[in-house]
Amino acid sequence: MSEHGTPASARVPAADETARIEGSGGKTAVDRRMRNPLRGAAGRNLGLVIALLLVCLVGFVTAGERFASFDNLMTILRLAAVLGVISIGMTFVITGGGIDLSVGSVIGLSSVWASTLATQTMANDFHWSVMVFTALAVGLGAGVVNGVLIAYGRVVAFIATLAMMVAARGLAEMIANRQTQVVRVPAFSDVFRLAPLGIPMLVWIFAVVAVVGWVLLNRTTFGRRTVAVGGNPEAARLAGINVKRHTMYLYALSGLAAGIGGVMMLGRTTAGSSTNGLYYELDAIAAVVVGGTLLAGGRGTIVGTVLGVLIFTTLTNVFTQNNLSISAQAVAKGVIIVVAVILQQRIAERSRAVT
Amino acid sequence: MVTDDRSTDRPILQMRGIVKQFPGARALDGVDLEVRAGEVHCLLGQNGAGKSTLIKVLAGAHQPDEGQILLDGSPVTIAHPVAGLKLGVATMYQELDVVDGLSVAENLYLGHELASGGFTQRRAATQRTREILRRLGHPDISPHREVGSLSAAGKQIVSMGRALSHDARVIVMDEPSAVLDSEEVANLFRVVRELTSQGVAVVYISHRLEEIRQIGDRITVLKDGRTVAGGLPAASTPTAELIRLMTGRTVEYAIPRRPPVAADAPTVLKVEGLSLRGEFTDVSFDVRAGEVVGLAGLVGSGRSEILETVFGARRATTGTVGVDGRAVRAGSVGAAVRAGIGLCPEERKSQGLLLDEPVYRNITLSTFARTANASFLDEPTERRTAREQIEALDLRPSDPDRTARTLSGGNQQKVLLARWLVHGCRVLLLDEPTRGVDVGARAEIYGIVAQLTAQGVAVVVVSSEIEEVLGLSDRVLVLSEGRVVHTGPASAIDEHRVLDLVMEGSAA
Amino acid sequence: MSAPLRRRWLAVAGTAAALALVVGCTSNTPEDTSDDSTGAAPVAAGSGNDEPGDTVTIGFSAPAADHGWMGAITKSAVAEAEKYSDVELVQAEATNDVNLQISQIEQFINDGVDAIVLLPFDGAALTEVATQAMQAGIVVVNVDREFDDPNAARTTVLGDNYGMGVSAGHYICEQLGGTAGAKVAEIAGIDSLPLTQDRSRGFSDALGECGLEVSNRVAADFTVQGGEAAAANLLQAAPELDAIWNHDDDQGVGVLAAIENAGRDEFFMVGGAGSKNVMDAIKADNTVLKATVIYPSTQAADGIKLARLLVQGKSMSDLVEVEVPRTIQLYAPVVTKENVDRYLPTAFES
Repeated sequence: MSEHGTPASARVPAADETARIEGSGGKTAVDRRMRNPLRGAAGRNLGLVIALLLVCLVGFVTAGERFASFDNLMTILRLAAVLGVISIGMTFVITGGGIDLSVGSVIGLSSVWASTLATQTMANDFHWSVMVFTALAVGLGAGVVNGVLIAYGRVVAFIATLAMMVAARGLAEMIANRQTQVVRVPAFSDVFRLAPLGIPMLVWIFAVVAVVGWVLLNRTTFGRRTVAVGGNPEAARLAGINVKRHTMYLYALSGLAAGIGGVMMLGRTTAGSSTNGLYYELDAIAAVVVGGTLLAGGRGTIVGTVLGVLIFTTLTNVFTQNNLSISAQAVAKGVIIVVAVILQQRIAERSRAVT
Repeated sequence: MVTDDRSTDRPILQMRGIVKQFPGARALDGVDLEVRAGEVHCLLGQNGAGKSTLIKVLAGAHQPDEGQILLDGSPVTIAHPVAGLKLGVATMYQELDVVDGLSVAENLYLGHELASGGFTQRRAATQRTREILRRLGHPDISPHREVGSLSAAGKQIVSMGRALSHDARVIVMDEPSAVLDSEEVANLFRVVRELTSQGVAVVYISHRLEEIRQIGDRITVLKDGRTVAGGLPAASTPTAELIRLMTGRTVEYAIPRRPPVAADAPTVLKVEGLSLRGEFTDVSFDVRAGEVVGLAGLVGSGRSEILETVFGARRATTGTVGVDGRAVRAGSVGAAVRAGIGLCPEERKSQGLLLDEPVYRNITLSTFARTANASFLDEPTERRTAREQIEALDLRPSDPDRTARTLSGGNQQKVLLARWLVHGCRVLLLDEPTRGVDVGARAEIYGIVAQLTAQGVAVVVVSSEIEEVLGLSDRVLVLSEGRVVHTGPASAIDEHRVLDLVMEGSAA
Repeated sequence: MSAPLRRRWLAVAGTAAALALVVGCTSNTPEDTSDDSTGAAPVAAGSGNDEPGDTVTIGFSAPAADHGWMGAITKSAVAEAEKYSDVELVQAEATNDVNLQISQIEQFINDGVDAIVLLPFDGAALTEVATQAMQAGIVVVNVDREFDDPNAARTTVLGDNYGMGVSAGHYICEQLGGTAGAKVAEIAGIDSLPLTQDRSRGFSDALGECGLEVSNRVAADFTVQGGEAAAANLLQAAPELDAIWNHDDDQGVGVLAAIENAGRDEFFMVGGAGSKNVMDAIKADNTVLKATVIYPSTQAADGIKLARLLVQGKSMSDLVEVEVPRTIQLYAPVVTKENVDRYLPTAFES
């Protein structure tokens, strides 16, 4: 949430600035604190909000009540939930200067592992949450493997996670024998049929993960380290931050998010399949980048990521409402990604030009 | 050293009343510059005085809003960089704009390849490149060599060669010595004299006053986008006068005198038998509380590597580092920081700062975890601490929310110093503390070092400016090819002696 | 960005899936009145069933058309819907992402369509949402890939993979006339898929009846390049063959190319699925390809017809039964030069 100083404030002579700060006591500081997050968030996310509103407007104009109904809103959010959760994990990795291509496969692997006959038997014997913990452990484990390879094994993130992407998918196929494993743990499926306050379970999970992610990135030392490691790993290291360990944590976090995604997929489809989450990593990266997180690292925004996910899923919904093909939608998505990245570069250049 | 027959009085380049307005800022507000053929004309000014904008206007990268540019007495418009080159004005930027993957010859003729019928004439280009390199006194560089394999000095030669390939009559050099060590600087000066003797005018920008005295003929001083003095004789204008013109203040350029280190001051940092394979061997020294120890030597003598190893950023092959009598775990920055060691690294931008993060977060980068409550950041405290440091160090602009990128070199250095001041350290390692720092801020940084020692901090300084090392330090270690060749009080040695020791060391 | 890529990658899995769908419905042509199987359920033209009734809104969703057969599924369904003035088709062209396909069914439920014709990417994964649709009073017609729970659909239209193998096996037995020791090769699709296993089982059972067995078996992946590679290896391994059955006509393009390259013609080949290319080749009779076994690509079109009947409360007029049956399994006929003209109109373009 950095705020670029305006040229005007830069030109205030030093003496005056000091005097003003002393004169008005803490007030200036308070003002600035209150103003900055608002202005920063609004400034950065305004474009995304406008884009989302535009998509919604198109939806409303073309599909009317069908689009603007509560049920449809929930349909959009349910569709967004799995992608949203892994995109939040991905936001941390990308902000930290990395990339995680394995999340889609890890969704598949964790959903398969959590729905094997053995796991389901245990879940029926003990508690349905056995399946949840299995999926989370699988996701976390895959993430830790990624993290250790990248941080301590010095394997480039792109390669390490590409390897995990291929291997996890293969392992999922081996475990499931390429078949769909139907969940026959009624307690598990029932949990995902709940809708507290009329809002489906998947959407609640998405919301909780988003809030936790926001707090983690913006309000904790973990988030600050993430920005530092992504912005300038050498500077972070020379400031005493354990860059390797933190890098490992980032991939573990992303793996955990993919594990949560696996559970959600299992809840939504009541079936574990090795094809679950296929190519979700690309959608997640697209949503994160469109959201305004720098692909090069050093700046990340959870709000932007959530908006990015919502733009893409709402777009999908509008296209379906209007009977338009997925292919046309893919073209629209591509255009959105390119436009968003060009805009990002413009903004970055402008901020740099204020020397 | 400046002979009048070298430069004629004929002005080859005149810039009159140049104004350049950017949104929200008037970068140039009436600049006059007159450069004669065959002279080295130095452009002096603090960061932000408008030097960079001026040379961009001259190169055609920016268009002036007002004012006139005359070449050989006739007004010209330099609409874009290529037009500038055609008119004979070439610019060598600080960040050398050579293409690493291409050969020397290809770089020289980049953008104006010698070609006939769409085919590049490689042989002709090679031939002419060879001539140009000879003119620059570097027949040793092969035209076929890949530029990426050359040193910074070599790349600079290529960059100059490119200017000559355009038959440039005016060459602008933006801080050409910033990336060079003293030997390479000497060579650079030889090339510059060679060029001026052929009637080429050189506009030379540098922060180093001693260089300007050595190579310059006349000086133009810029301040706040205006020319405050033009055509000053480089050899005879007093330093104090130049500083006054640049800063508008009178600054004591001299390094502040510090009281001698108390005889009973305890040893804080103890380095024993430290070696790093391929970099340096068997380095031992002590630093007492309040003492400054300098490491002098050329680039490649291992001086920066020693600091990084003491700091744990590199893992020593052998040897130990101790602070206040306790050994510090080797190869761990975290352990060094916990033991109270701080490092202001050589490359501020790439090793020290989060350029796109606000100043206050850069200041608290080593301490935010300490001020946090159960992992939740305490930003109010961070800002308050940062603000205290900003005031104490007179960091300008004083806005803690400005991004670090927008600060000048001197203020970026202050941010790094502030980081360790907030952290509170027993040992501060300074690697090139004044590189790219203008004269005013330099004096302030020296002042901060003096304050720190007064508080009992042990300081180790590395600088490629031997004068600075000698001036700041109580004791000096002279390094040559990774070995300590001399240890002694700084007052008992001078620059020439240091260089002699370095040469003897490398001959041995 | 991801969709085209996703398409290509999924070609493998999707093709496999596509084959799973191959259903032999030849019933939408009036003259096709095959009545010899339990599954074939022709809707006789002129029975009154085609008379316009109340308008029926049908939601249709199928996996991505990354295989010729799957493309034909959607195309024929849309074409069928257009024939009826009282059918309004809401088409959601799904991807091979079950998450997205579920959301499309949710949208159909929100929109309150009368019926949903659903060819799920994964039957088990769509069961939950299909059940929800049924509970919301929507008629769900399941096509090709079966749901996990029979109550998730009112009616299921299925192909017959085992039957495909049987038909191919019987044809080869007939042609080889019980030649002892005849060498029969099989080029399967993706081996781990149940549909492939069913086909192979049927093939082997049928060959067994005339004393033959599969002497060489390789598996490809339902793509042209996969077929080419598998066939090239097979021909290398077996210098002398009498017959080949290739499970899938899309990969068959590659298989034929490999045969051409090897300059072999001592055997005849039987295809699978029933693409137009292959039927044209059978008709021209100038390659080793002499027959193919159909896995009908018109089953979704039948799904549309059945959905319309169900919503309008009509019955299948050729049956005595007043209700539309729960399960309709389609037949897998053998197409040869002699009867190719009859099947060409329903062949799919690959």
